[in-house]
Amino acid sequence: MGVIVVKNLRREYETSLGVVKRDKKIVHAVNDISFEVEKGEIFGLLGPNGAGKTSTIKILTTLLAPTSGEATVLGHKCFGEEKELRKKINFIFGSERSLYWRLSAYDNLSYFCDLYHVPEKMKKDRIEKLLEMVGLEDRAHYRVETFSKGMKQRLQIARGLVNDPEVLFLDEPTIGLDPMGAKTLRKIIKQLAEQGRTILLTTHYMLEADELCDRIAIINKGKLFALNTSEKLKDNMDSSMIEVDLHTLREDTVSRLKGIENITDVKVVTDDLGHRLKIECRNPRQIMSLVNEQLYDNKVKSINMREATLEDVYLKIIGGEQSA
Amino acid sequence: MLSDVKVVLASCRLQMKQSFSRSMFKFCILAYPILAAITFYLIYAGQNDQTLISYVFLGTAITSMWSSISFSSAGDIDRERFMGALEVIFCSPTRFRMIMFGKVIGNTLLGIASMFISFLMVTLLFQVPFTLTHPLLFIVSMFVGIISFIFIAMLLSGLLAISRNTRVLMNCIDYPVFILCGTVFPIEVLPEWVRPLSYLLSPTYVLELARMSINGITDIRLFYYHMLGLGIVTILYLLAYLKFYEIIDVKARKEATLEVI
Ligand SMILES: Nc1ncnc2c1ncn2[C@@H]1O[C@H](COP(=O)(O)OP(=O)(O)O)[C@@H](O)[C@H]1O
Ligand SMILES: [Mg+2]
Repeated sequence: MGVIVVKNLRREYETSLGVVKRDKKIVHAVNDISFEVEKGEIFGLLGPNGAGKTSTIKILTTLLAPTSGEATVLGHKCFGEEKELRKKINFIFGSERSLYWRLSAYDNLSYFCDLYHVPEKMKKDRIEKLLEMVGLEDRAHYRVETFSKGMKQRLQIARGLVNDPEVLFLDEPTIGLDPMGAKTLRKIIKQLAEQGRTILLTTHYMLEADELCDRIAIINKGKLFALNTSEKLKDNMDSSMIEVDLHTLREDTVSRLKGIENITDVKVVTDDLGHRLKIECRNPRQIMSLVNEQLYDNKVKSINMREATLEDVYLKIIGGEQSA
Repeated sequence: MLSDVKVVLASCRLQMKQSFSRSMFKFCILAYPILAAITFYLIYAGQNDQTLISYVFLGTAITSMWSSISFSSAGDIDRERFMGALEVIFCSPTRFRMIMFGKVIGNTLLGIASMFISFLMVTLLFQVPFTLTHPLLFIVSMFVGIISFIFIAMLLSGLLAISRNTRVLMNCIDYPVFILCGTVFPIEVLPEWVRPLSYLLSPTYVLELARMSINGITDIRLFYYHMLGLGIVTILYLLAYLKFYEIIDVKARKEATLEVI
């Protein structure tokens, strides 16, 4: 069984519209989502604003009650068995919040160690290690309010690790970080997974999801639209493209190309310089040799391959629909 | 158990450190008692020492203590919610009420400090000698009073954890309490129909008891009745607060009220 199990999970919010409290409106923030995450996996929830990512994470971190459905982490129900669960998990919300700004970095971590019952003997050592890990060792005794945004975010990471959690939840951890800061953070996340921790993160940065996540779930409007490894998600896309520039083009080449499995369309653009074939396909790497074979007695100038990106996958799934 | 004690102590320490770095709080702790002492003194100037002690000393002491304990505890929930720390502490393995208890204790210690400042102020500024007829009963009354205030603060903090209208609530119970409890004038002045409300609030009893121990007790039974009353409302607060924290855990998560709107 997975470390995280989510089955037919739903969460509704009741919001009142306008000043008159009686106009109630139900928002289906999470609408029948199911997935499982294995130990040591980095699992990504990808989706636009309002997709239901934060709500899902809050349910899993025992901060929010599900309206219906099942959510268990490490075999404990997230609502009802939180006593056991809370010791073993932690979460990081990608913002500067969730810290005591008027206290020093060290005092912040020390307080959270106490809340997580870290034995006094281990405390000092752990805090120092964590501060070193996030590169704040020389700022340990400065007040958090004097920190830059990136530093606060790194301190948050340290805070999320005070109890040495088995499962770590991260909600848009790199939001607002500069490229270097985001890179450092991704490195830390990878290290944590290598240590055998299970990580569930949300993001709306495609490249980040692509680089970090073993598997990605794409959600929108509370529904799960796709769930797979980044590779497999891209495999199913027909938006990959092989572009071939030719001096001459034999008549039957196009029809023979169209006969290759995984090629969905071939368009020919001809001008006074020659011909350009635009081959729309899936898995361009795998069919490259077949394409080459069919081109043998044409005079090829150049071949270009553009693989579908996660963004293509995402845009296709989310479609023209605007985020909430 | 031991870890709970540690959490209470750590939260108490954190609370005091944080409060002290807030200038608004320094104002409440230091300036408020001074200003209140002056105001109350001017109102009662020329009266005999006993009246001065009863109203100027006690009035300032109780109001500054009450503000510090209940209203800072209430405000803290709001502040923590705003900082996003409410969620983080809520989902730690420590029971939420232990954390809040630590914070309230922190505020109480500061409140006691504030009370001493006000005592000192009145003594030094106006040279009113602080004399007590029954020092022991006075200490007992204050002690039970403080415990009662702690439970009220816990109750309020719970109420505020599940309600987003924190500020409104805070502002609408601050002054009415001072009026209802007879801080500045005896509650006999109030219309009869509001008096039951007065007797639901522990400051009423604390003031009454303290005044008796200052001015001398003519009927010891009256003192015991008031002590009993204080005990009963305190137990009511305690029960309500325990019940409250039990439902907070579920309600806050069902209604998603932990975060900022
Ligand atoms: N406390 C709340 N009360 C009412 N509606 C909420 C609340 N939190 C989130 N929502 C709504 O639920 C939907 C999903 O929100 P959220 O889970 O935060 O999405 P995401 O993190 O993917 O942006 C949104 O439409 C949002 O407006
Ligand atoms: Mg979100």
